[in-house]
Amino acid sequence: MTDASRPLGEDPSDRVEIPHIFAAIDAILRHPRRIMYQLNQSTGSRLILSMTMAAVVCSLIYGVVAGTFSGGSQLWIAPVKIALGLMISALICLPSLYIFTCLSGSKARLTEICGLLAGLLLLMTILLIGFAPVAWIFSQSTSSLAWMGTLHLGFWFIATIFGLRFLEAGFSYSQARSHAGFYTWVIIFLLVAVQMTTALRPILGKSDTFLPKDKKFFAVYWGDCLSKSIDGPPAREHD
Amino acid sequence: MTAALGVPRTVEGFLRAGPQDFHEWVTRHQLRLMAFCVVSIVMGAGSYGLVIGSWRDSWQACYTGIKLPLAILLTTAGNGLLNGMLAPLLGLNVSFRQSLSAVLVSFGIASIVLGALSPVAWFIIWNTPPLTLRTSWVSPEYGFLQLMLTVFVALAGTIGNVRLLPLLRQWAGNRAVARNVLLAWLAGNLFLGSQICWVLRPFIWDARRPVEFIGPDGWHGSFFETLFQAAWRLMT
Repeated sequence: MTDASRPLGEDPSDRVEIPHIFAAIDAILRHPRRIMYQLNQSTGSRLILSMTMAAVVCSLIYGVVAGTFSGGSQLWIAPVKIALGLMISALICLPSLYIFTCLSGSKARLTEICGLLAGLLLLMTILLIGFAPVAWIFSQSTSSLAWMGTLHLGFWFIATIFGLRFLEAGFSYSQARSHAGFYTWVIIFLLVAVQMTTALRPILGKSDTFLPKDKKFFAVYWGDCLSKSIDGPPAREHD
Repeated sequence: MTAALGVPRTVEGFLRAGPQDFHEWVTRHQLRLMAFCVVSIVMGAGSYGLVIGSWRDSWQACYTGIKLPLAILLTTAGNGLLNGMLAPLLGLNVSFRQSLSAVLVSFGIASIVLGALSPVAWFIIWNTPPLTLRTSWVSPEYGFLQLMLTVFVALAGTIGNVRLLPLLRQWAGNRAVARNVLLAWLAGNLFLGSQICWVLRPFIWDARRPVEFIGPDGWHGSFFETLFQAAWRLMT
């Protein structure tokens, strides 16, 4: 993704300013070093804010597409839950990312870590927008909740892999002695994010309440959904 | 054909073009290249669809002649944004329009191949027992037509992608990056394309229904779900 052997800012193209969010989206796809360099500059905080806002907007758009599976109130519930879930997951994992980064000997400041995390969210959500037409076609065709859940998880997983690649590239510029802490954090982040899908359920199906009444571990919930799907006719109405 | 000619003017020139020509067209004459590819898809895949549908009757021929190019164009449009994002993330720094043009070139070549195979397909259909009241899902002639449709489309698709690979290699300057981008595009297009074909079915024949553009089951279920259920039934 990036050439970690050259320091940030050495290449003149790294120093090109990012005047607006569309430039940030273009940079994170084509020239991520530009984002990483700008995070170290005085305009870093503004960039972090705009990337976070863009990630919220993109996740809301993807949420609307996810909500079309059930329609009705899910058209606003799904986007709210997806955007909320993503932001809360990032917020929950931010302290551990900072601590693991410090333990790895990295020189990155908290602002830079926030920026890299915002970059991860932005890259994830714009990739999800890319998947949105595919998700829409399937959500209009199938009534299987298990299948749609699997599909959205698959898209989220692919988007997360690319987001984590960006984060790792940023991490490699911070003079960290080891990547072990980073990989540990990746596992934590993935677990938190998948548990969030269960904590905020149902995101795709319908329910009488905004949040679930009982608590479940994500593996148990997924198992329940799959066995429901195999045992009986799947329906959009069911949780 | 050389790059000096500017844009593809004939099918012959388009098919004979090398990576350098495609590179020139994709970077400097995108709109004309895209228009050429869309026309190739409509004509090539359309003629193949006409032949395939003609086994049932003339209306099915018209519908399949429209649906086959439509499936290709919808797949290209639906995955355009995703393909444009995946290319730079996998190391190939191209614009959205360039990635869209490259995918269209691949589909354009595949469609021309399909168009060229149309007379062969017509000859096979002419030799296939006609559709009668006794024809069923398990009739060998129907199975044979399904197989032929799949084999010809797979062959055309393979040729289209093989022609795209040198262009990607030239752009990327790296074989691994070109291969990864091509595989990512292929996977995405195959995934969405299968479902779009599922929605637009039937392409050959539906025993239970009169001739329709899209059957009532078009938006019911998904290709992969059905595939999974069939595999599950076999295992249990």
